[in-house]
Amino acid sequence: MKVTIPHMGNVYIAAKALFEGLGVDYVIPPLNSRAALEIGSLHSPEEICLPFKILVGNYIQAIEQGADTVIVTGSCGPCRFGEYSEMHMKLLRRLGYKVDFIVIDAPKSIGFKELLARISRLTAHSPGTKGRKWLALAQAVRIMGLLDAVEAKAHEKAGYEKVRGTCKNLLKKCRQEAYSCGSPDKMLDCLNGYNRMMNEVPCDRTVTPLKIAIIGEIYTVIEPFSNLYIEDKLMDRGISTRRLMTPSWWIRNTLLSPAGLNSPGIKTASRDYLPYYIGGHARECVGEAILSWKSGFDGAIQIFPMGCMPEIVSKAILPTIARDKDFPILSLVVDEMTGEAGYVTRIEAFVDMLERRRNHVVSGY
Amino acid sequence: MKVGIPRGLLYDQFHPFFTRFFTELGAELVISPQTNKSILDAGVQYCVDEACLPVKVFHGHVCHLRDRCDLVFIPRIMQLYKGEYICPKFCGLPEMVTNSIPGLPEVISHPVYATTMARLRQWAMASACPITRDRRRVKSALEAAVDEQSRFRTGYHDQGYPIKVALAGHPYNLYDTFINMNIKKKLNNLGVGVITEEFAGGEDTAQEVRALFKKPFWTFARKTYGFIAALASKKHVQGVVYISSFACGIDSVIIELVRDRIKDFPMLVLKIDEHTGEAGVDTRVEAFADMLERSCKHESDHSPYGQCLYSCKSPV
Repeated sequence: MKVTIPHMGNVYIAAKALFEGLGVDYVIPPLNSRAALEIGSLHSPEEICLPFKILVGNYIQAIEQGADTVIVTGSCGPCRFGEYSEMHMKLLRRLGYKVDFIVIDAPKSIGFKELLARISRLTAHSPGTKGRKWLALAQAVRIMGLLDAVEAKAHEKAGYEKVRGTCKNLLKKCRQEAYSCGSPDKMLDCLNGYNRMMNEVPCDRTVTPLKIAIIGEIYTVIEPFSNLYIEDKLMDRGISTRRLMTPSWWIRNTLLSPAGLNSPGIKTASRDYLPYYIGGHARECVGEAILSWKSGFDGAIQIFPMGCMPEIVSKAILPTIARDKDFPILSLVVDEMTGEAGYVTRIEAFVDMLERRRNHVVSGY
Repeated sequence: MKVGIPRGLLYDQFHPFFTRFFTELGAELVISPQTNKSILDAGVQYCVDEACLPVKVFHGHVCHLRDRCDLVFIPRIMQLYKGEYICPKFCGLPEMVTNSIPGLPEVISHPVYATTMARLRQWAMASACPITRDRRRVKSALEAAVDEQSRFRTGYHDQGYPIKVALAGHPYNLYDTFINMNIKKKLNNLGVGVITEEFAGGEDTAQEVRALFKKPFWTFARKTYGFIAALASKKHVQGVVYISSFACGIDSVIIELVRDRIKDFPMLVLKIDEHTGEAGVDTRVEAFADMLERSCKHESDHSPYGQCLYSCKSPV
């Protein structure tokens, strides 16, 4: 068995640690690129959302490198993501690829027994003891947490760093070095080192850079390829950004949600505008907009794939928040046709507007 | 007290329930007219650009009611069956409307879970609050409404046509004759009879749905997929006409699943949006009808694509 996973931001690094810890054979597909997207767009239904198409590209590229089992999470929310696994399976079978899927779904919909059976399909191929397997999982979760922490610090400090580009370079090196580590233990050491280095990046805390929150659909905000590397672009301009949606946030949120203890801040913040969970992360998007306004951000950028059902609802709500709170929000829709020049122009205009608002114009939305 | 009920989205399916409920409570009803050009234009003007046509039309209906009533009823239909949703946009519909259309009167938008009577009662109590606080009256209104709904039937089942097709799609696309340009009449004029999913329930559909890897979590997906798959695999119809609104997330999934199931069985997917030109629709429907006629009379089993799509080798 040779397992693979689709890309989503830095998840591949943690997944590598997990598979190495478990001792199973794995393939990490090539990082997302135009090639993956083109393969995906060729085979996917026309109107499906962007993540589906990129995932198809990932799967096919991984299969070409010898993968025969895909591990992917599922969901049963009213958002389309829940149907992905079923459609991917059928699509790949139709294209003549022989590949198994292990879908980690919520126990609420498939039952605990089935969930354990599915997980054991993976762990059965791992030679280690039960303890080793748990350790591998714990280390992978820890690695994901560290990666997210390093990334968040880099994004935040990009506005304050004394030498423009320090954070961006450090982050890039961190990803590369962590990925090339041979074992989960080494990877943890490496990441701890980078976490310390990130803390020590020389900063000038007297400046007041623009602060922008990145909100929206989880895949397109986490996966830099799908949002045309918006965070890197903003880092280059010396803008401090924050994004609450991270893979480790997702893990925490998923584990806590059956007990109703997930993201209390977002729940309270979104109460006035969207008091119900409507699927996807629409409520989180609305909540984050309010939270970032409360913590003194200059504006927010919402990113979602064309046709994303939950985010269309939040896009309808965000202008009201912008009006009520005098808080500019830009909505960007991405798909395989997104042209970079038009995209960058809109971001530049938005950033210019935020700068001017600060300096001499007191107009609102 | 005037309660406005927009004639959009699931109104065609559930109007007996909602109208009876509010009439029994003693409210005066104002119902928006059949969809027309001005309603569509108002919807397009106010609604968020990315939304699908039926949601835009719904905005137009609410806009029509804006100055004509004291309360607008915007159903927030969460679940009709246990563990199944309608669509995220239905769950957030009241927020979409109230944040897009300025100057609305008070809105009734409590979540409807039609899974059990107890949950419906909760909805009824909350929704009736602005009209009456008489609990007994609300209870009897709800019972009357449920009764009325249970006697209500929709759907088409044409008899006596040489060719029969399955007419599939969301109910609001099928029964709003303005936005689908009266597709049923067009088909009938071409000698094609239609059958809709209301007339094809039962074991066949359930079996088709059970064969899926994952139980669909949308009511539309379960019903429409089962309906098309059952009829097409049993060859009860000669073709499928699927009316789908542009950028509908659920349809993008259903159509893919259906295509995978029925392979080269003739299926026409008609995309509708606010720009749809009638001549183009006519052409496509006529061509489809011609093809069905030919395949029934002259040639058998020719692929509607001109080549066998599903058995060909992958280009990659």
